[in-house]
Amino acid sequence: MHQEADDQAIQADAYIEALLSAHRRMPIAVPADEGGTEPLGRQAGVRDAIRLLEKGLPRFHPSFLFEEQLADRLRRQAEVTTGPGSAPTAKVVPIAVIHSQGTGARMADRRLLVGGAIASGVSIGAAVIAWRRARA
Amino acid sequence: MLRRGKDQHESVLVNFDVDRSAVVAARRDPRAFEALYRKYVAQVYNFALYELRDTHAAEDLTAQVFMRALDGLPSFREQSEPPGSSFRVWLFQICRNAIANERRRTRRHPEGPIELALDVASTDDVQTEALDREQLSRAWELIEQLPTERRQALVLRFVEEMSTREIGEVLGRSEGATRVLIHRALRTVAAQIGRGSDASGS
Repeated sequence: MHQEADDQAIQADAYIEALLSAHRRMPIAVPADEGGTEPLGRQAGVRDAIRLLEKGLPRFHPSFLFEEQLADRLRRQAEVTTGPGSAPTAKVVPIAVIHSQGTGARMADRRLLVGGAIASGVSIGAAVIAWRRARA
Repeated sequence: MLRRGKDQHESVLVNFDVDRSAVVAARRDPRAFEALYRKYVAQVYNFALYELRDTHAAEDLTAQVFMRALDGLPSFREQSEPPGSSFRVWLFQICRNAIANERRRTRRHPEGPIELALDVASTDDVQTEALDREQLSRAWELIEQLPTERRQALVLRFVEEMSTREIGEVLGRSEGATRVLIHRALRTVAAQIGRGSDASGS
């Protein structure tokens, strides 16, 4: 019983995917409506529901004015974060091969740390040179 | 892109998260967050509109979600397996929480008719503008009657075109459980359609 419900759910999901893919004009065949061999042959009601929702739930777009106003707000917020008092921007050191996803995330952190350390090192060096020149 | 597996001598091809580079760029410089915003603003707005049934409330919520995402980006960690976007899943998790908070705050459930949304909101493309309004209204009415989680699952599947795995990550369920949830929601909708045709036929 449980297995049958799972199988029907899988069939329905495959049918939705096929319809959505066809909508995206991907080269995937949508299962036929007629005939007893189609995946949703015994679930005619579900098939009708899928077809209705696929056609009947449109996408809306926010107004241009709203989108631009929010973009502006986010830009200002980002400027505050990257303002003169914020931390120095890190430099990215390219790493050719990422060994695994877990370490990849750690490597991304390390890149930022390395970048910060380089920036700090350069700042200290410049200060020492300026101080020596002032003394000379 | 090439990535090495546990065995250092064996290389495998993998799909990296589609938004990884944009997220890295935005973390490095928050001004780069705009690319992610432009990519997902319509999707978040859609989800909010389907849940709140009010264009102004959907705009407020969309703004809230992106402001939170910008602030929270340093603490964001990739969770889902590629292909797909962990960022999109994370964004929709924020959106879902914001909707729940909004509901608690206002203590009301959405009641606005589809016409209200259709009159104000501009549709994404010409094809949807040509949609049969009756069909649209019927679909909207059918999903409105569903319990929250089932309705959200259907909107994420049909409107946002998320995969079952991504929906599961947004809802905090396994892929299999999400598939069954969607199927149950579809059966409820199917039963409603059947009842509707019975009523009109009698």
